[in-house]
Amino acid sequence: MREALPAHKPWFAASLWEWIFTTDHKKIGIMYGVTSTLFFIVAGLMALGMRLELFNPGAQYLKPETYNWFLTVHGAVILLWWAIGVWASFANFLIPLMIGARDVAFPRLNALGYWMFFAASVIALLTFIPGNHIMTMWTGYPPLSTMEGVGFAGTTALFVFIWHLTGFASIAGAVNFITTVISMRQPGIGFFNLNLFIHGIMAANVIQLLGVPSVAGAVTMLFLDTYLKTSFFDPARGGDPILYQNLFWFYSHPAVYVMVLPAFGIISEVVSAFARKPIFGYKSMVVAIWAIALVGFMVWTHHMFVSGIPDWVKILMSYTTLLIAVPTGIKIFNWVATLYKAAIDYKTPMLYALGAILMFLIGGLTGIPLGIPAFDIAVHDSYFVVGHFHYVLGMAVTLSAFAGFFYWWPKVTGKMYPEGLGKLSFWVVLIGSNLLYFPQLVIGLMGMPRRYYDYPPIESWVTLHHLQTYGAFILAFGILLALIALIKGALSGEKAPNNPWMSNSLEWRLPSPPPPHNFDEPPKVEKDYCPHGYCKF
Amino acid sequence: MKFLALLLISGLAFAGEPEVIARPYDLWDIIYKIWLVITVIIYAVVAIPSLYFMIKYRYKPGEREMGDQEHEGHWGLEALWTIIPLIIVLYLATHGFALFTQMRKPPENAMELKVTAFAWGWIFQYPNGKMVVASAIRDTEDNKCKPEDCYKVDGALQQYVYIPAGVPIKAVLTSQDVIHSFYVQPAGVTQDMVPGRTTYTWFQINKPGEYWIFCREYCGQWHSRMFAKLKVVPKEEFEKWLKGEVADLDHEAKKLEIANIDEKKAQEVVR
Ligand code: HEM
Ligand SMILES: [Cu+2]
Ligand SMILES: [Cu+2]
Repeated sequence: MREALPAHKPWFAASLWEWIFTTDHKKIGIMYGVTSTLFFIVAGLMALGMRLELFNPGAQYLKPETYNWFLTVHGAVILLWWAIGVWASFANFLIPLMIGARDVAFPRLNALGYWMFFAASVIALLTFIPGNHIMTMWTGYPPLSTMEGVGFAGTTALFVFIWHLTGFASIAGAVNFITTVISMRQPGIGFFNLNLFIHGIMAANVIQLLGVPSVAGAVTMLFLDTYLKTSFFDPARGGDPILYQNLFWFYSHPAVYVMVLPAFGIISEVVSAFARKPIFGYKSMVVAIWAIALVGFMVWTHHMFVSGIPDWVKILMSYTTLLIAVPTGIKIFNWVATLYKAAIDYKTPMLYALGAILMFLIGGLTGIPLGIPAFDIAVHDSYFVVGHFHYVLGMAVTLSAFAGFFYWWPKVTGKMYPEGLGKLSFWVVLIGSNLLYFPQLVIGLMGMPRRYYDYPPIESWVTLHHLQTYGAFILAFGILLALIALIKGALSGEKAPNNPWMSNSLEWRLPSPPPPHNFDEPPKVEKDYCPHGYCKF
Repeated sequence: MKFLALLLISGLAFAGEPEVIARPYDLWDIIYKIWLVITVIIYAVVAIPSLYFMIKYRYKPGEREMGDQEHEGHWGLEALWTIIPLIIVLYLATHGFALFTQMRKPPENAMELKVTAFAWGWIFQYPNGKMVVASAIRDTEDNKCKPEDCYKVDGALQQYVYIPAGVPIKAVLTSQDVIHSFYVQPAGVTQDMVPGRTTYTWFQINKPGEYWIFCREYCGQWHSRMFAKLKVVPKEEFEKWLKGEVADLDHEAKKLEIANIDEKKAQEVVR
């Protein structure tokens, strides 16, 4: 379309110096993406190590403290670097392009945010040095994490700094994205014709802004208790360990929506693009996103149903928890209705997005009983919970992230990925994941506790653990295929057109890859602009 | 195939047991079955139309290249799938509420069992003062237990926890050090054991036999070996056991000391 653009260097030709000092949201987005993906791989490898250990009962290859270290890093890294961090990559790259801006509102703060994330990554790597392992689990409950020598919790300080630094990055990002979307939209883009992806990111970042201070305070007190012997959480000196759990989950429950709302956003983008149809019920989608974010702050004690809190609090938060299923259900039904009378083009991103929907449904339906104290009392801290959050995180979030990678790959790299390999990777990932995560639900119902490095040799348990380990390796192979497809595309793919998916959304009107300043002149947004034609009322 | 069979067995294990083996598991079973039925129905209601649309409305060059652009929302339908799920979840929460109230109320005649957790094990104290200890079996550098032995009752530091069949037990729980958790498998009850607080749970097992208790709150290195074996015996037999024949309190206290010393030694070894 716009052939007469001034000559520019594409992002991948930048020198190291330019990467380090860049304030370009696209480069920062790519740096977030590379960092998140590398840590996703690290966490995945540690999980494979755990699965080998659990293949058979009895001590196999790992010592319990090694297993606990693997599990702590697996949990913390997969949540903070992958399920939260990867969205910072998408948000950075896409928000300005989708709203017709040249950059984010505070480019330097944005760069600082990334470098804080990088510093957190360095701290995470420091925990690999012998003697510095963290074994607190990603939740870091006191008094285990504050008492030296009792339970082998490892170096609590590193655990605390990881939260502080990633939290700083989150807040910097949140301030930035929220301001950018509020103040830098092209005229003609309003609340009800924003991309659903941006709604997801906005809601997630409002949660970050309100929630992160709570967990930051909690881990700071953890630090003081551990090293300066204060007694916020020490019952022997008037403190209360349950206080930590309240402060921690006040953020960490809403944090699951920080992980999943952007995933919902991507599903909506991809499904409407490849169904070649407006998304069904755009308005109720928007309302659902914001309702989830709001109610998400009123349910945190469902993580504490057996912690010893008063029974009436459990009942209250049981109702609020189950209420969240309603807006979540609306989204799923709307996606299904979008497929009605569609013209579904099964490209790799669409497969990943549809897989994410049907797998998220399992995650959601297994979450409901966990919100009912009468049910949870039997499965709390069991593998049923492990299965539940893997369906949500390991499937819905991860499949959506890969849907997003494949979908925007042509825009980011200017090259098409190999379609066949992409599709194959999807099927391998889907099969592997189900073989890994479904047995977790079953063995959890049979009573297998969570965070166990060993288990009694009960015959059915052993079988179910075997299945999980096979599934884990199939899944890992699938992820490998997906990464190969992406890298192969970037290196030797066909040249991508500006708009390979025929989307109406603004980012596809730019060249692939976009020039450094995105839009040479402010893009003209039609009066009835809709990212996918999905908001004509 | 084996997997499917297992699934079926696990399904059946939770279904159609005429006599109550354990309480309040019988109440849990009610909400479990209701949830399972609703879940399967909802999954079918979503997945079947999805798969049907996915197959029917595929992109076909020259024939079906664009979806129906007018079909972009329907307030009636959207209201429908707001209201029906709302009713379902309100029902589930309320039924759960009713069951939970019952599940949390120990029967009047319950026998009280004081349980104190430590890293890593439990001390059980019976109403007459008799004590039993169940402490984790740990590996050391040069001595790794074999899989069959890691979860075995050896009668010394790992003793059976006897309880009478058919008698409700109220377990009063606390912890000496970090947070642990008390999960009685057949009864389906979990309760954290928090230092500085007492919490409680109750259960009743009607069928004599051996059952598992596991720690379910991560408590450090040997969390995964923190278990106890419940031995459920007829009431008369239990009374006999309680009255004597097995070691007196002093003896038990000595054993505990040994347990604690072992603890320190084991830690040094691992370091
Ligand atoms: C290669 C793929 C994966 C494998 C084999 C795997 C396996 C495991 C295992 C064995 C555990 C420990 C369960 C326990 O002992 O309690 C675990 C925990 C966990 N996993 Fe994964 N997982 C994978 C991918 C993921 C993904 C993609 C996510 C999220 C996006 C995720 C999130 C978590 C979380 C949050 C925990 C809990 C950590 C904790 O309890 O502290 N996992 N995983
Ligand atoms: Cu939650
Ligand atoms: Cu434990």
